[in-house]
Amino acid sequence: MKLSLSSVYRSSNFPAILKSSAFSIPCRSFCFSSLSSSQTSVKAQIPLFLRPARCSATLHDLKKWHDWAKNLASSIGLTFEQSDNGPDSSLLCRELKWLLEDAVEDHTLLPLMGVQNDDKRVTMRAEVDELYNLWNQRIHERRPFQYIVGCEHWRDLVLSVQEGILIPRPETGHIVDLVSDVVSKDDELKVGVWADLGTGSGALAIGISRILGTEGRVIATDLNPVAVAVAAYNVKRYGLKEIIEIREGSWFEPAKDVEGKLSGLVSNPPYIPSKDISGLQAEVGRHEPRVALDGGVNGMDALLHLCDGAALFLKPGGFFAFETNGEQQCRALVDYLENYKSTRLCNFEIVPDFAGIQRFVTGFRRQAI
Amino acid sequence: MACQTLCKSSIAIRLGRTSDSLSVICSSHRLPLHPRRASPSFSSHLLSSLSSSSSRFVKAYSILSPIPSTATNNTSLWFLQQHPHHHRSLLWCLNYSHATNAYVDTGAEGLGKHYLGLTDDELMRECEMDTFKSSGPGGQHRNKRESAVRLKHIPTGIIAQAAEDRSQHKNRASALTRLRALIALKVRNIVNLDAYSPPQELLQILPAKSSIRGSDCGPQIGPNNPKFVLGMQALLDLIFAVEGSISEAAKFLGLSTGALSRLILSDDSLRMAVNEFRASKGMKPLK
Ligand SMILES: C[S@@+](CC[C@H](N)C(=O)[O-])C[C@H]1O[C@@H](n2cnc3c(N)ncnc32)[C@H](O)[C@@H]1O
Repeated sequence: MKLSLSSVYRSSNFPAILKSSAFSIPCRSFCFSSLSSSQTSVKAQIPLFLRPARCSATLHDLKKWHDWAKNLASSIGLTFEQSDNGPDSSLLCRELKWLLEDAVEDHTLLPLMGVQNDDKRVTMRAEVDELYNLWNQRIHERRPFQYIVGCEHWRDLVLSVQEGILIPRPETGHIVDLVSDVVSKDDELKVGVWADLGTGSGALAIGISRILGTEGRVIATDLNPVAVAVAAYNVKRYGLKEIIEIREGSWFEPAKDVEGKLSGLVSNPPYIPSKDISGLQAEVGRHEPRVALDGGVNGMDALLHLCDGAALFLKPGGFFAFETNGEQQCRALVDYLENYKSTRLCNFEIVPDFAGIQRFVTGFRRQAI
Repeated sequence: MACQTLCKSSIAIRLGRTSDSLSVICSSHRLPLHPRRASPSFSSHLLSSLSSSSSRFVKAYSILSPIPSTATNNTSLWFLQQHPHHHRSLLWCLNYSHATNAYVDTGAEGLGKHYLGLTDDELMRECEMDTFKSSGPGGQHRNKRESAVRLKHIPTGIIAQAAEDRSQHKNRASALTRLRALIALKVRNIVNLDAYSPPQELLQILPAKSSIRGSDCGPQIGPNNPKFVLGMQALLDLIFAVEGSISEAAKFLGLSTGALSRLILSDDSLRMAVNEFRASKGMKPLK
């Protein structure tokens, strides 16, 4: 794993936007202790819920913080929702409850807050002062809750996340189900090599490797060194180092050795049209890395590149699934595939997400005749 | 089961008013529906209205599904569909005679029982999943705020939801558990009292002192055990069959009236279901 910038800039598909934002990753080390991933300068942070419970507070102080935080959350009302479709206060209150659960070691004490034993001390994973800081960031800076606690509950996984990588979305989980479906119909795909390009936190790679079982392998690529470090951390935490290999670089570039050999290819690449970035919900637009979101003028730069690559990198019978921005991109992508890739790829399908939005495009490499 | 014929297996009648709606499904399935088949394609044609005077419009749909012709047992079920935005579930019972052309059968496997016998995956396949805030483009545009899950069980129209967890996956699991409980509470299987013997899953939730409960039933299963809903469903089937009389039902179960009352009162949803049914019959609630 080589993480020098030069190795990143060498890549031919290196998008210009990277220069502006990918490496302007805010360092927020005050909250998390760090764990360095091998040979890299980028460190994956340990999520709050995994930190040792070395702090403590009285129930009284904890309650005081909680009341303050709750008031702050309630004062938001519908303000965020109306300005940019952000969270309303009921949602913020739910997040507050989760923050408390991650910060306090023994949850059974929580109901006692404000009831009795005011002087009783609670063991915590963060100081109360830090909790004030964090909640101020949540409300006033709109820092995403998942960055605050350093993790996201995604499907049945709890993935470490931090500034500099995309927080995995619930929609994306459906790709794992799609893979599960094809693999259950074709044993051969189960034992082969899969690729997750632009892996971010490693969500898809980890989800898929658990379906493939011990005989499959997954190559996960990302050109963002923070993503590489965090994905490595998550892979290790789930004990999947033997199955998932993380490689740094642009899309297919670090996977040249498996050209024409992949059983499957999945990706949730950046797909938001550049002009829409400025109007995004503050949690997303102000805090998540642009390189993970911006898909170029019509949002399809990476998706088209992935389709081209699928035609070359999949083996006959191999499966691909990509996430898109919605119906328009799904249609445009299928048009592109039908017009330009149908000699090698086939059986294109558009699959909706759980909200009914046309979200995924899937297909196969033609069988050799 | 060589020959599969397409036959009209059930009729769903929906009585709709603006604020609430009551659906009655009278079905005569010859076999427990296969999960794939159970998601009904409604071909809607209007039927004649029921006797109910309060309904503005009465619609009926027939559900077409292929049923193997060698099938033997029949079931009927009645249930109430709550309007999606009514939070409290309301349990109603219709007198058998209201259910125009329903086929009342002597029992065996019921459809309601069949649903509860499905695995989570199978049951999920019969459901439509919604998230609450599905407005907007979703995906990368949004910081996940859609972990809340709403499941609609298509064959019965029953809705269950969950929002308290951070992961959509866990909320989905809770919603499924809730759905099972709601199916148990709302979907009735017909019981033939003349030849009644309580099914195993009902025996398992009875206290040890029941005189008909053999020692092979194992320890009593309580409301926190996932298997409780199956027993609860069978118990409600019996209580409906005896028109809400706890003392009658107790006799069938080898229990004193007091012991059966205590069992019913031990679970809030069970107690509410029994009491609402009793109220509809003009009986006093259990306390
Ligand atoms: C929308 S995020 C998806 C992350 C993750 N797969 C998920 O679903 O949560 C897109 C990812 O693509 C990565 N990416 C952007 N440009 C890339 C490139 N040229 N090569 C490889 N990865 C790239 C970003 O760093 C980011 O991690």
